[in-house]
Amino acid sequence: MNLKRQLLLVSLLTLVLPWAGCEFISETESALRAGQQQMLSGTARAIAESLQQYGEDFPRPSSAPEHILGARLYAHALTREPTLDGYFDDWALSESSLESMRGIGGSIVYAAGTRDEQLYVYISVTDTSVVYAERAGAALDDGPPYSDRVSIISSSPPYLNERIEFAPEAPGNVVAYRETAFGIAAEPTIQATWQDVPRGYQLEARIPLSILGTHVGLIIGDTPEPASPPVRSSNFASQLPGRLATIQPDLQSVVGDLIQPGMRLLLTDAEGWRIANVGELQTRARPTGDAVSAWLRFTYDALVEKGTDARLSEPAASGREQQPYIQSALAGETAAGWYRSAGSGSAVVAVAVPVDLGDAVVGAVVLQQGTEEILSLTNQGLARLLNITLLTTVVVAAVLLGYATWLSRRIRRLSFAADDALDSQTHDGEFRLPSHDASDELGDLSRRFSFVLQQISEYNEYLRTLASKLSHELRTPLAIVTSSLENLEHEQLNEASARYTARAKDGADRLRKILGAMSEANRVEELVRNADAEVFDLKKVVGQAVSAYAGVFPERRFLFKPGPVDIHVLAAPELIVQMLDKLVDNAVDFSQPDDEIVVRLSTSDDEVDLSVTNPGPPLPETMRTQLFDSLVSVRSEQDDHHLGLGLFIARLIAEGHDGRIRADNVDDGVCFTVTLPTRQDAPGGSGESAGSPPRQG
Amino acid sequence: MAKRIAIIEDEAAIRANYSAAFSREGYEVIGFDAREPALNAFASRLPDLVVIDVNLKNDIEGGFELCRELRARSADLPIIFLTARDSEFDAVSGLRLGADDYLTKDISLPHLMARVAALFRRLDAMQQPQGQESTIRRGELEIDTDRMIVSWKSEPVGLTLTEFWLVHAMARYPGHVKNRQQLMDAAQAVLDDNTITSHIKRIRRKFAAVDDSFDAIETVYGMGYRWLGE
Repeated sequence: MNLKRQLLLVSLLTLVLPWAGCEFISETESALRAGQQQMLSGTARAIAESLQQYGEDFPRPSSAPEHILGARLYAHALTREPTLDGYFDDWALSESSLESMRGIGGSIVYAAGTRDEQLYVYISVTDTSVVYAERAGAALDDGPPYSDRVSIISSSPPYLNERIEFAPEAPGNVVAYRETAFGIAAEPTIQATWQDVPRGYQLEARIPLSILGTHVGLIIGDTPEPASPPVRSSNFASQLPGRLATIQPDLQSVVGDLIQPGMRLLLTDAEGWRIANVGELQTRARPTGDAVSAWLRFTYDALVEKGTDARLSEPAASGREQQPYIQSALAGETAAGWYRSAGSGSAVVAVAVPVDLGDAVVGAVVLQQGTEEILSLTNQGLARLLNITLLTTVVVAAVLLGYATWLSRRIRRLSFAADDALDSQTHDGEFRLPSHDASDELGDLSRRFSFVLQQISEYNEYLRTLASKLSHELRTPLAIVTSSLENLEHEQLNEASARYTARAKDGADRLRKILGAMSEANRVEELVRNADAEVFDLKKVVGQAVSAYAGVFPERRFLFKPGPVDIHVLAAPELIVQMLDKLVDNAVDFSQPDDEIVVRLSTSDDEVDLSVTNPGPPLPETMRTQLFDSLVSVRSEQDDHHLGLGLFIARLIAEGHDGRIRADNVDDGVCFTVTLPTRQDAPGGSGESAGSPPRQG
Repeated sequence: MAKRIAIIEDEAAIRANYSAAFSREGYEVIGFDAREPALNAFASRLPDLVVIDVNLKNDIEGGFELCRELRARSADLPIIFLTARDSEFDAVSGLRLGADDYLTKDISLPHLMARVAALFRRLDAMQQPQGQESTIRRGELEIDTDRMIVSWKSEPVGLTLTEFWLVHAMARYPGHVKNRQQLMDAAQAVLDDNTITSHIKRIRRKFAAVDDSFDAIETVYGMGYRWLGE
């Protein structure tokens, strides 16, 4: 991974800012909410305490044994008086307020409500074969002919147990019959309407609460035909119905004075049935709902704690509050709830406090309050936070990217420059790499690089001159040896001494040759520096030389492939030929008898390639550039005459003429190529035209 | 009377070896290890030939200095530089100061003897009237083999002994290529390729100084050199 990507990745760390911000907002919100909850629960506790004096007004759990009491019917507080027409739509209650039970023809739905001391009952029965009574008053007969009927059981255990029967002869107004301890009679205070509907019938009835007991239940009798007794369905499974649950007007008016605006107070009895409901939550019409806000809400939901759906904070449609926090209040524990609606953005904090009379929990006070302030605070905070941090992230990423680009460009330039400096084998003066004057670590690196390159260059220079210095120093002692031996030859020597002298001379002679080779490089350098360059036809000179090689090395075949055109170079021809000598020498040494050595000239633009190719073993890859250094040889066997100076001399000559030399492994052997600049102009005059001297080595 | 040869050489062993060799050839040899004692000795009497090492102990260019002073005192005193320094620059400097030859210490004693003998022979020949039989003519070139003098278009060309032998070797058979080995043998010296190249270059330059259009020495690349013309 390059530096740029690394820093870009690092810049992603700034995304931690929005996260931290959200954490902070979430914390803030929690704290605010906790504060509000605490305040609410304080209020609720005070209300609960003040309600202890009304303990008598709380519906007491029935003293009757549990097994004989069935489910309870909840009568909603109706906000307006329904018309008795057999339809539910004017009850001002939601459909979800309808309870249901199973009948034999399908489901039976029902609802109950109170208003002005009247109990309203609505029942819708699925019954494809409605059987009407054959005569009025037949409702309470237990024998055939039977008819469909609705019964309301009213009791106040253990004393009262009455029935109210609706068994009409025809749809429309129904006369209700009431069975009391005194007998059966039509009850004129009860009004009811029976309505036929395609799937069955609907009954809507109004009964004064004064004639009802505390426990009320429904029984629906469905008769398939007049001859069969009805099959009974009821909303209570046991012997008696449960207590009628409804708003307690006394408690309702008491708590109505206790709450502050913007709060809702629910009061439940010990079983969670709602017995008082006052106040409304403030639901301000918030100027939200646009796309940004929706997006914010989404982010908010993703980042911050989710509350329970706000709809669940509404009073239960069934009349029985079953939210966990209310349940735990009824168990004696003060508890809190937290609602938030994803759609509207409204949020509600709720607390529930038990009303404890000391011996028993008779109910719970539920206090709810909207948290619009907290929400809008956090929403705004969130919006600003997200905007700022995202902007920060983008800016930081852009800055880091730019910085990384700049940095990596500097490093790349430095690395290229170091490469170049290493490649260019000759160098004068001080090395100055990019960023040399920078005061940072790259500057340090650059200076260190320069220093190292300088050292390498000095060391190379030392190596380069080592041979000639060495040969120079060794020449005097060698002269002593040779002259001594030559003098010795003139003395009277016995056979053995003469033999040894001869050997010593041989050795000295070899040593002389070695020293000669070693100083040759130095002399060549000098020659290159002082050579009189002239413009000449390279093709002619090389051709001449190659034809001469055939005589010098009869065991090799030479092939000269000149280019089609004359090639003019500005150089010292003797030196060029000497260079060619070295290359050919090298080629001969690394090839076998009868091999073909190819000398090739090819031009391109303003340069000419002079190459010598010989079949033979490939060059080791690592040696390809070192090959042209002083005292470097790839020859495997020790060879006295080859100190690794031949190619070094070739390089000196090539570079002395602004050229360069390289070695390549080719398919059929090794190819040494010298590239020289060419001249467009033809040779000026014959021979000794004094051109400008070649570049100073 | 034996010729007197002076050797100025700081390396005692070499001086002794050369002295022995010269003595064996019948020369009278005097050796010095520095410039001052040599000059003092020469004040009363000049030797017949001087062999000088360029580098005299701490006196790095002492040999050159000595050469200059000797040449100032005698125009025809043969002076040979014998040195471990083989750079082209030193050779040119030495010859410019009027030395008759510039040799490196590689040279073998027999070669050195041959040169000394040749120089003396030339010196002797200079005393004699010019003999026609010792002259070779090749077009504009005229070689006096006894005096070892070369002239071009009747103008004398000042060549060193080595150069003279090279020209002589080439001009004797015009048109024949002389390779390096042959030239080396002719010059009685062991010379490497570059030294021969330098010598040829110097020879050309000297002829060119007499005649701008001189082009009688041709380089045959890869082989050697030849003298052109009749």
